[in-house]
Amino acid sequence: MVEDFGETAARNSNAATRFCMTLMAEPLELSWHHSGATSDFIGEYFSRACGKDIDAIDARHSISYMLNEILENAIKFRHGGDIEIRSSLEAETFEIQIRNRIDPETARTFQAHLKTLLEREPGELLLERIEENALDPDSTGSGLGILTLMSDYGARLGWSFASERVSEGVELTTFASLRLS
Amino acid sequence: MEISTNDYRVWTEGSTIHYEGTMRLSGTDAYAPILEIMNSVLASKPDLITMDLTSLEFLNSSGINLLAKFTIEIRKQPDVGVRVLGSKSIPWQSKSLRNLQRLHPALELTIS
Repeated sequence: MVEDFGETAARNSNAATRFCMTLMAEPLELSWHHSGATSDFIGEYFSRACGKDIDAIDARHSISYMLNEILENAIKFRHGGDIEIRSSLEAETFEIQIRNRIDPETARTFQAHLKTLLEREPGELLLERIEENALDPDSTGSGLGILTLMSDYGARLGWSFASERVSEGVELTTFASLRLS
Repeated sequence: MEISTNDYRVWTEGSTIHYEGTMRLSGTDAYAPILEIMNSVLASKPDLITMDLTSLEFLNSSGINLLAKFTIEIRKQPDVGVRVLGSKSIPWQSKSLRNLQRLHPALELTIS
């Protein structure tokens, strides 16, 4: 069964500049710092591949921020296994697909969260979420990653949940694209 | 007061809080020691708190939550003013810092 939320269609064609990598669960012992190091590397890689009319400093930062937020979530919520990253750049469109496994309970919670999120204006929801976080001393995560990407970076995001057997968990693919300027 | 690691440094000078480097900590708990430094400046009830972010190259969304949470704490104390200094050459600041002003319209934001 596959359930899609948001924008899951790839935009870039086969002619796009592509870079793919897999963060192997073993023997890396995938951990938090892999997220920043990987994001910086891919940001640097694509900022050098941008056309002259694109601000390379802004491109490097925006790509790195977007990738880091999605990878932080992938590392935090993954249910074992590797994390696959596919990224591409064509003209001013940068897009990524990040695939990892999560457990069915995490998938259900996340889907409920996405349903609310996709119905609202992200900038408004961002401020609401910040106010809620400030009132809740026990909140451990900020939940602001997706909202800042949509509100501050104009990113288009989508999520595809695929599950065959419950014992294998759910395969989550996060789609994200940015228009570089 | 100062917290210093290979990736970032946060320190205070009077009622100015300086931030430098790259902060990508894993969540509210990991940012707690930094919030503690910030809260200690607020506890001294200065007329004006300055958050100098001009050397903070990168901040993840949990770090943005930290700045926002502190802004809300300052908002509760109308006698304490707040000024945020950013840099145009650091892209995240032009994109995300305006959210602090939306939370607390009296906050003075300068990105130069």
